[in-house]
Amino acid sequence: MSHVKTAETAPRRGAASVVDRDAAIDAVDLVKKFGSNLALAGVSFSVPRGSVFGVIGPNGAGKTTTMRALLDIIRVTSGRATVLGTDSRNAGPELRRRIGYLPGELILEGRTSGRRLLQHYVDISGPVPRGMIEQLAGRFGLDLDRPVRKLSKGNKQKLGIVQAFMHQPELLVLDEPTSGLDPLMQQEFLALVSEAREAGQTVFLSSHVISEIQQAADEVAILRAGKIVTIASVEELRQTAIRHLRMMVTGVSPAEIQGLLAGLNGVGNLECTLAPTGATEATATLGGEIAPFIQAISTLQLTDLVLEEPDLEESVLRLYTAPAGSSAAMGDRS
Amino acid sequence: MTTIVPTAPVHAITPTVRRAPFPIFGKVFTDSWRSLIGWGAGLAAASALYLPLFPSMSGDASMQELINSLPPELTRTINYDQIGTGSGYAQATLFGLMGFLLLSIAAISWGAAALGGDEESGQLELTLAHGVTRIEVAVQRYLAMAVKILILAGILFLAVWVLDEPSELNIAVENLLGTSALFAGLILFTGSVAILCGALTGRRVWGIAGGAAVAVIGYVFNAIGNQSPDLEWLHNLSPYSWAFSANPMTNGADWGTVAAFFGLSLLLGAVTAFVLRQRDIGV
Repeated sequence: MSHVKTAETAPRRGAASVVDRDAAIDAVDLVKKFGSNLALAGVSFSVPRGSVFGVIGPNGAGKTTTMRALLDIIRVTSGRATVLGTDSRNAGPELRRRIGYLPGELILEGRTSGRRLLQHYVDISGPVPRGMIEQLAGRFGLDLDRPVRKLSKGNKQKLGIVQAFMHQPELLVLDEPTSGLDPLMQQEFLALVSEAREAGQTVFLSSHVISEIQQAADEVAILRAGKIVTIASVEELRQTAIRHLRMMVTGVSPAEIQGLLAGLNGVGNLECTLAPTGATEATATLGGEIAPFIQAISTLQLTDLVLEEPDLEESVLRLYTAPAGSSAAMGDRS
Repeated sequence: MTTIVPTAPVHAITPTVRRAPFPIFGKVFTDSWRSLIGWGAGLAAASALYLPLFPSMSGDASMQELINSLPPELTRTINYDQIGTGSGYAQATLFGLMGFLLLSIAAISWGAAALGGDEESGQLELTLAHGVTRIEVAVQRYLAMAVKILILAGILFLAVWVLDEPSELNIAVENLLGTSALFAGLILFTGSVAILCGALTGRRVWGIAGGAAVAVIGYVFNAIGNQSPDLEWLHNLSPYSWAFSANPMTNGADWGTVAAFFGLSLLLGAVTAFVLRQRDIGV
């Protein structure tokens, strides 16, 4: 992972804030009220140019509202966002030509073909290199000659991805880009995102599950109830994530295993049982460093040990549900 | 003035896909030319069905007797008290009834769909995320609707003009032109209310409600105002009456009224653009 800029290294923003003009997106204290409903409750983040920034959160957390505010489709109640050096409120056509956008609920109707619809967006937002549309459509196996209203949800989503990428914008704002795509196409999409980053483009994307974007994102902001709970690199998330472990040990009683492991830092949900074979089976969850655990079990006679990949989903879900202001599991960085 | 240094690859040399001018305006026609042809054919067919009946009706005393035997309220409502002359007949049956009905429906559905319907379906959000301003989108869609209405009014003008002689209507061509202009203005006004109501609310149904209110209330107030001198003041509230109560096909159109219709409609178009610029879209 190349350049990872965390919230800690980002410039501190207060009343006398300095807008980071080099950032692709610099959002400062975005607040959006819909009537009495507070959709965004002060969202601040910065996306460095050339990086992939993911925002995850449950439905209704404010992901879509944030993206729409950046595109000036809705206007924030207070706060401001700078997009590619321009205030989003002054976003003219020139700025939007430099942005590719995929809406969260992509609705495409009409008897017009995918090719003609894309041509329409070329007319508005071009220029688009010749052959680009065909090449992108080819990668996703998308038939451009079918009427858009007859396309499946997945194929509409592919069409939406093509229209966002085709004019090679400096910034891509993609709301739930992988929704409706099958796993193979999700991989193709993630490859496209990697290529965009290599070409120097910035990608800002959202998802309600981290597994869809953990491969692609340099940094992830976790959004809940209109607030950013934490901003961390995927690597940092992984370090704090929980692993599931299971092992079989011979020659030791369950009680002894219990005594050995229960006191270890990060071990939870420990269950030790006697298997029919006479061996002891232990299952537990492990958070944080694994070295102390490995040391503790080094003297045991293991017949089996399974230490699963850290489950980011689970640690993220913990952040979703943790009461506000107690993001201690991650270290409070928001 | 800052210079923008794009970090993304620039394809200045790569040949690019050709781009059309006024894409928003043009797309309305690429999307709806079929329906435009359909409405045009419908108008022409209505003209061809109604107008050639005039000689048999005017020459036929029993037809006049039949009309005389109808309740006067009914004949006043549908303006059939004027159908003794060719110009009155074309006015009452075509411009005042069938053509008015058809074109009002077309204009209301176009106006309601142009912004309100597009926003409701979610497509406006995507268009606005591309390289256009909201003003451009509103103005180009408004003008596209206006052009479609003018085309259909032109088709109606041509149909009546062509059928005038074979149907023995004896309509003065300048009166026909003036009436067609009033007709186009009235319909454009209706469509403008529809597009504005759609832009205000982001819902197609409100656009339809607004446009239909203008058309229906206008027609109903005109009809009630026809019943007695005591109720004639209702004509003042009826755009339909503004256009037709002076029998423009017979007496000639007031071009000031034509200008007022178009001026008022363009004003509504400007308000539409302003309203769309202010709002949160798709919420």
